[in-house]
Amino acid sequence: MSARSNVMAYAMLAPIVVLLTIFVVWPVVYAIYLSFYNWSFYTPPIPVGWRNYVNVLGDRTFIESVGRGLLFAIIVVPTQLVIGFLFASLVKTVSGKIATILKVSIYIPTIISGVIASIVFVLIYNYQGGILNAFVGIFGVEKQAWLGNADTALAALTVPAVWLGLGIGTLIMLAGLVDIPTSYYEAADLDGASWFQKTFFITIPLMRNIFLYLLIAGFTGAVQQFELPLVMTDGGPLERTLLPNLYIFQHFRNDTYVGYSIAAAILLMLVLGSISAGIFRVLNSEKAVDG
Amino acid sequence: MRSTQFRAMGIVAAAGAIALTVAACGSGTPGQPADTGGGGDDVPEGATSVEFWQLSFQDVENDWYTDAIDAFNSSQEDIHVNLTQVPGDAWEQRMTAAQAAGNAPDMYTIAYNGVISAATTGQIVSLSDHIEDDVWSDMQENVLGSVSMDGAHYAFPMLVEPSSVLWYRTDLFEAAGIDGPPTTWEELQDYAAQLTTGDVYGFGSAQAAGDMGWSTWGLQWNVAGHLPISDDWSQAEVGDEYAPLLQAWQDMYAAGSMPQQALAGYADANPMGQGQLAMNMGGSWFASVFINDFPEMVENIGAAPMPSFHGDPAAPTATLGGWTWVVDAKSEVPEEAATVIASILGGGDDEHLLEYFEGTQYSKYSPRSAVNDALVEAAADSENPWASMIASEIVPTAMPEASYPWDISLAFATALEQAMQGTDVSTALADAETEINRLIEANQLAGTAPQ
Repeated sequence: MSARSNVMAYAMLAPIVVLLTIFVVWPVVYAIYLSFYNWSFYTPPIPVGWRNYVNVLGDRTFIESVGRGLLFAIIVVPTQLVIGFLFASLVKTVSGKIATILKVSIYIPTIISGVIASIVFVLIYNYQGGILNAFVGIFGVEKQAWLGNADTALAALTVPAVWLGLGIGTLIMLAGLVDIPTSYYEAADLDGASWFQKTFFITIPLMRNIFLYLLIAGFTGAVQQFELPLVMTDGGPLERTLLPNLYIFQHFRNDTYVGYSIAAAILLMLVLGSISAGIFRVLNSEKAVDG
Repeated sequence: MRSTQFRAMGIVAAAGAIALTVAACGSGTPGQPADTGGGGDDVPEGATSVEFWQLSFQDVENDWYTDAIDAFNSSQEDIHVNLTQVPGDAWEQRMTAAQAAGNAPDMYTIAYNGVISAATTGQIVSLSDHIEDDVWSDMQENVLGSVSMDGAHYAFPMLVEPSSVLWYRTDLFEAAGIDGPPTTWEELQDYAAQLTTGDVYGFGSAQAAGDMGWSTWGLQWNVAGHLPISDDWSQAEVGDEYAPLLQAWQDMYAAGSMPQQALAGYADANPMGQGQLAMNMGGSWFASVFINDFPEMVENIGAAPMPSFHGDPAAPTATLGGWTWVVDAKSEVPEEAATVIASILGGGDDEHLLEYFEGTQYSKYSPRSAVNDALVEAAADSENPWASMIASEIVPTAMPEASYPWDISLAFATALEQAMQGTDVSTALADAETEINRLIEANQLAGTAPQ
């Protein structure tokens, strides 16, 4: 009976294991293999040992792009979490119809293509004839090169990044909020707890796993942001919006051999994996204690 | 055999993984046309099929390609060409996937600056083995040099486009009392300052490293007499001789003669057509944009060579970009593919070839002397009032595009952008020299320059 159960279990696991092996494990293993070669589709791979890795790590542009990606994520993800949490709290407190309108409104950016959003924000930020410059002009502020100025370009990219990611985060948080038993809040009310006390001692602790998920998914997603800098700035000015994935893409597109870009992609994978593991360690995931 | 298949599957899977890793680079741009092509379905019995991928250009160009292939197919029964026109944003992904699967087309279009790299990695075959010497004899030397390595020609040039022409507004010059286009950089900067008023900027050009990297090759030749790497690619050559170029960008940016952010990409002629610029450094292709999209502006726009930094009018100020046709190294029918190229581009039907240049309103030029002479003559009576000047004053002195790895161009362009944004010129040049030497070392470029 036990053996039959095992066979059934393996049979049911087999499809996903096979698919993961074909589409995830094998490509990654082969990519690691290729990263030690100078490789093109037309010539036999030339083994180069660790040279691709040494070259990537010796390229200040790559190191800076990873640092920039982390900075970008540090700005974008907490902003998304705070705004999303406040918005979800608002949605929870209002009546059904208004809540539906709010949910639809906040979710709309999620279904908009990142490319389209990038183009829209380029029009907003445009130096000549842009909506933002027209707006600040009302207050007598001179027009700014939001995307052309090395000091403002990265910050300008964080706004569409927050906007695009807000919807899904808010809805997940709303689901978490609704899931918290109301009896906890009723008990707190009997004890005279304020809104802040209920938020910090009931809501946030019980949403830890949701925050953990959003933090990791948001962080890795933000560091890997690709469409916004590609369409809006192409990594400029002065590489100030060159995020790591765009750096890798530019090398993949332009290099004679692709071993270098594969090595860079693997190094980025290690960075993101380490950061994710770090977040897991700090915000220890726990099984929900309530029923 | 099994291990070969296994290996091929692995390469395809790995390419897919990398494509996924670099995140969503496969999306098409909304509004881009789907693949189209020519050649028809009526393949003569026993004919050899040749697959031809062409990067999709303007409609008029695509129509010419379709007509040319149809005409070739109709002219004989031995070879049948299947033309596929691939949208620009899908080209890299489709070609990479096809190469990974071993299904690359037999022949395709490729830009000049990609030819040597493709030849070095064995991606394309030498056409010298398949196309006779007399077909090449008509080709301009400087253009032929940019597609040749170790004495062999790896691509057949179809057209050239000078990368930098000084487009200027004759009406604004006249209103400001300025007589004619600038002939020196001092004049250019002076005029740009004078002509900057309100929402009209005196001078527009590339302002981001990605655009500067290729659009300023001609000015790099002009100001320094060489590109920023030695001929054998063994060391950076970024000295003070480049300072006037960087200084000019810095001064015009600081003075507000250039916008604080480029109004469009370098290849985009719209800001000039829309009246936002008094002078615009842009490619020869701007002509067709002005004629088609801004016909009311044509009489107010003049064209001239970019000024020479040292006053020598014979010094190059532009490079010759454009497109070539190549044959894939894995093609099983290279001889037939080369026959197609020689027949369509190599003198088999020059009348039809001239229709291409006529269709593009003489905004492009032929690398073949006989064709170019004919098109210059025809251009004199055309709606393009600038074609003759560009053909006679810019094309002859223009240099081939750089064939070294793009990172080298980007390193120099970053220095130019740094200087424009206020970094000391010497510091920016020193940074570029350090970076180019690092790239030479990292990519083991020394001694690998094509001879």
